[in-house]
Amino acid sequence: MFVSLLHLLTPLSCFIINILSQFFFIWILSFGLLKSELFGFIIGFLLVLMMGTQTDSSVQDVHAIVATKLIIYTSLSYCYFHFVNLAITARRIRLIRELYSFEDGLTMGEILRQYNARDMIENRIKRLIDSGQIVFRNGRYFIGKPVILLISEIIIIMKRSLLGKRSEFD
Amino acid sequence: MAVLVTGVGLFLSAFFIHLLIWRVRLPNKQTRSLLLIFFSALALWTIPLWLFPLLYSKIGLPAVTLTEYLHTIFLFISLTFAYITTYSGIEVDSPSLVMVMIVKKAGCDGIMKDDFENALTDDILVKPRVRDLVRDNMAYLANNKFKITHKGARIARLFIFYRKILKATDKGG
Repeated sequence: MFVSLLHLLTPLSCFIINILSQFFFIWILSFGLLKSELFGFIIGFLLVLMMGTQTDSSVQDVHAIVATKLIIYTSLSYCYFHFVNLAITARRIRLIRELYSFEDGLTMGEILRQYNARDMIENRIKRLIDSGQIVFRNGRYFIGKPVILLISEIIIIMKRSLLGKRSEFD
Repeated sequence: MAVLVTGVGLFLSAFFIHLLIWRVRLPNKQTRSLLLIFFSALALWTIPLWLFPLLYSKIGLPAVTLTEYLHTIFLFISLTFAYITTYSGIEVDSPSLVMVMIVKKAGCDGIMKDDFENALTDDILVKPRVRDLVRDNMAYLANNKFKITHKGARIARLFIFYRKILKATDKGG
C-alpha cells in the first residue's frame, strides 16, 4: 500500500521539484526563463525515471509504471509551461494587468495607447528573431528555423479538424 | 499496466465524445464544455466502480485496488488539463503563430516590414481580446470605459505576483 502511494505521489513531487529548481536557476544562477524551465523539466524527468524503476514489479509492469508516471509528469509540466507563458506573453493577461493599474477604467482608445498591435508586433518579432525563427534581411522578414512554423501548421491542422476553420476570423 | 491502459482509454473515449459533439454543434463556452465532457466521462467510470467494486470483476475485468483507482484518476486529469491547455491555443489565434504564417505565405522573397505590420492591426490583435475579457466577466463596460471586475482583479494579482517570482521585468504581451 505504502509503495503504491509512493508511485502515486512520484510525478507530483517531481513536478514540484521541477518548479523549485526553476526558481533556483532564476534567482541563484541568473538563468533566463526558457533555460530555467528546460533545466527544471529535465531534473524532474530524470527523478521520475530514477524513482519509477525502484519497484519489485515485473519488467513489463515497471515499463508501464514508468510510462504512466512520465505521462503524468510531462502533462503537469506542460500545463505549467503554458501558465508561465500566459504570465509572460498572453494578450489577455497584459490587458487585465493594464486595467488593474487604472482603477477608473480605460476607454478603448486609452487601452490602445497602453498596448496596441504595434507594441505586440515589436515584442513578438524580437522574440522570434532572437530565437532564429524569423530572419530580418534587407528590410524583409524571412522564415529562419522551422520549429514555430511546424507548430503553427500542426495547430492549423487541429483547428481545421476541430473547428472546421483555419482562423478565428474565418 | 491496467492504470495506463484504463487512464489513456478513458481519456480517448472522452476525446471522441468531444469530437462528436463538436461535429454536431460548436458550443459557445468551449472550455467549460470540454471540462463538462471530460469530467462527466470520469464520473461515469469512477462512480459505478466505487459504488459496486465487484461489478467489473463480474464482467471479466481485473479488480482495481484503491491506489490503482486513484492513479488512473490522476493520469486522466493530467491528460485532460494538458489537452484543455492545448485547446486554448486552438480556439484563438496566437499572434506569434499568425506572424510566422504571414512570413511563410510570402515565400522565398520574404515580406516587407511595412506590409507585415499593416497586415496585423488592433482590430485583429487587441480588440477581440478586450471583448473576451468582458465575455468572461473579467472586465465590464461602464460609461464607455472598461473596468476590471473582482474576478479580473484576482487573476491580475496572481499574474503580477508570479511575474515577480519569475523576475519578468518587461511589460510582456
